[in-house]
Order: sequence, then C-alpha cells, then structure tokens
Amino acid sequence: MYIVVVGAGTVGYGLAMELQSLADHEVVLVERDRARAAELREELGEMIVHGDGTEVVLLETVGARRADVLIAVTGEDGVNLVACQVAKHWFHVERAIARVNNPRNERLFRLLGIDSTVSATAAIMAQIEVDLPEHTLVPLMRLHGTGLELVDLHVLAGSLAAGVAVRDLPLPPETVISLVVDAAGTPRIPTADTVLAPGDEVIAVIRSEAEPQLRALISGVPVDAGS
Amino acid sequence: MGCGRVGSTVATRLAHEGHEVTVIDNEPYSFRRLPTDFVGRKLVGSGVDDHVLESAGVRGADAFLALTQGDNRNLLAAQMARHLFSVATVVARVYDPFRGEIFAHLGLRTFSPTNIGADLAYEALFKE
Repeated sequence: MYIVVVGAGTVGYGLAMELQSLADHEVVLVERDRARAAELREELGEMIVHGDGTEVVLLETVGARRADVLIAVTGEDGVNLVACQVAKHWFHVERAIARVNNPRNERLFRLLGIDSTVSATAAIMAQIEVDLPEHTLVPLMRLHGTGLELVDLHVLAGSLAAGVAVRDLPLPPETVISLVVDAAGTPRIPTADTVLAPGDEVIAVIRSEAEPQLRALISGVPVDAGS
Repeated sequence: MGCGRVGSTVATRLAHEGHEVTVIDNEPYSFRRLPTDFVGRKLVGSGVDDHVLESAGVRGADAFLALTQGDNRNLLAAQMARHLFSVATVVARVYDPFRGEIFAHLGLRTFSPTNIGADLAYEALFKE
C-alpha cells in the first residue's frame, strides 16, 4: 500500500515509523513546519517532505493520486479535515483517516465522509467511562465504512430493558446483540429468550445514529433528556 | 468570521445596509478595524468552535462568511455552518484556487484572492 501521512508531530512520526517497519508499504510523511521537517530529514531521508499537506499542488508532487490511504494527524482539525477532503474529492484516495482534536468535531467529520476518525480524548473517555457508575453506552469501535459500531451497554435497574427478553426489546433496526456478560462475569451468547438483568454488560453492533435510542432503552432516561 | 481588513469592510457595509451582523474574531484587538459607530455585534472567540458559533447565533443565520487568513480554518468553520447549523448561504475565502474549486463543488461559495489579485495585476499591466 502507498500511504500518505500529513503531520510529522509525535503521532505522525510514530505512525510513519510503524508503517514503514511493515513489509510492502510505502510511506511518505508531509510536514508543514520547515524546521521540524529538516530535523527529521537526517533520520527519515526521502520519506519526509516539507510542505502543506492540504495543498493540491504539494499532494500532487508526493503522488497522492496513487495513494491507497491518506492519514491526517496534525494538531489542527481544520488541516486534518481539509487534507482528507482534498484527498478524497480531488485525488480519489480510497480511504481517508483523520485525527480529531476536538471530540465534538467527530460528528462533522463523519457527516462529511471521512472514513475513520480517531480522537484521543474520546478514546481515553471510553476507557474511564466503563468504570463510572453512570455509564450506560460506550462506543468501542467503528466498523469501517458501514455506519455501524460496536458498543458496550450497561443495563441499569429500572430501565426499559431490565427483566425483558431479547425478543421483546424494542431494538432500533440493524441492532445485533452479540454477547451478554452477567454481573458475575460469565459471558454467554444470547438467544431470543435471554432475559436481560440489571448489571448485565451487553456487547452489541448498532447503527451509530441509534446510540440515543439504545441509551434510553438501557438507562430508562428518555431520548431527549440530558443531552 | 475574521475581522481583518476584508472581514471588517464587509461587516461594516452589511451593517450599513441594515443587515443584522455579528463579527467573530479570536483577537479583540482586531475589532479596532470596525468604525466606532458599528451597530453589529462583536464576539471574541474561535470561529472553528461549534459552541462559539452557536452563541454567535449561526443557527438561524441567513448567511455565514469565513474570511480569516487561514484556508483550512475558513473551510472547517464554513462546513460547520453549512452542515451543523444548516446555514443556506456560506462563503469562504480560500487562497489556494484548487482547494477553492473542490469546496465550491461541495456546496460552499468560495473565492480565491490569489486568482482575483492575479487578474487585477494583469489588467493593471495592460490598461492604457
């Protein structure tokens, strides 16, 4: 694969090194800051290119047209979004991945067709949310290009879902309950007869936009409240 | 968004014509460019922050203009206005003409000072 990485900060540099160590991948790292690019030139040689990774002309010179993936990981959301959009709409790069610095921008990025977004803040929040008593739904992973995601649900006492069999749950379309882990930590693959109990941990595949509906189902808080 | 020379001039003109105008700039010193009798609202904050846009009243605005020096900042803010706040008319200044073209296809009204400047320079050269 040919991969273009925009932004040679800590994330971009580390990523490029990882990718380069894999066989059969060609990586180019684009850095806007001249001093940073010069600093990395000695170590990375031809792999580092000084320039603006959102500029059509620069991307043309690094061969974006034949890139399989463009990954934009600068500290600026504007740069990351635009680099991905230029890659997709001008160079028809198959896959564009953006780092999202402000987690609230994730929705916009997805709305605008960025294939994957990565947010350090959201990832760390997900790690600690699982341990917070009030957590109900934690997104674990997005399934590439499908609009689906893997989520962790925590069934609360008194919620609409507690004490109800899977077949009777008013689930949003295309929801698949994959695994139920009871309070004792025993995992089981649910059937239509499985009754959800308060304290159950449920791993499910859902449509991203169904998050509020599912959260309401397992927490008992109406869809519109508290958001 | 952006109270530089272009932003302040357009804002002043629009306010003068009787439009309700809010100017956003992250540097309060920029507002010195507005006339002392400017009747519009001045808001200090980042135009690429959805909360700032919300408090500027972008939701429900008829038009949004992104006129900072940064192409990418303008394009991020413009797309927020368009897609998060459903503003019908969104204008973005984009220096890079190619980038401007891409986003014109994506529903923004873009203009490139680079192209406009080059045209004017050329005209000035050959005018009698």
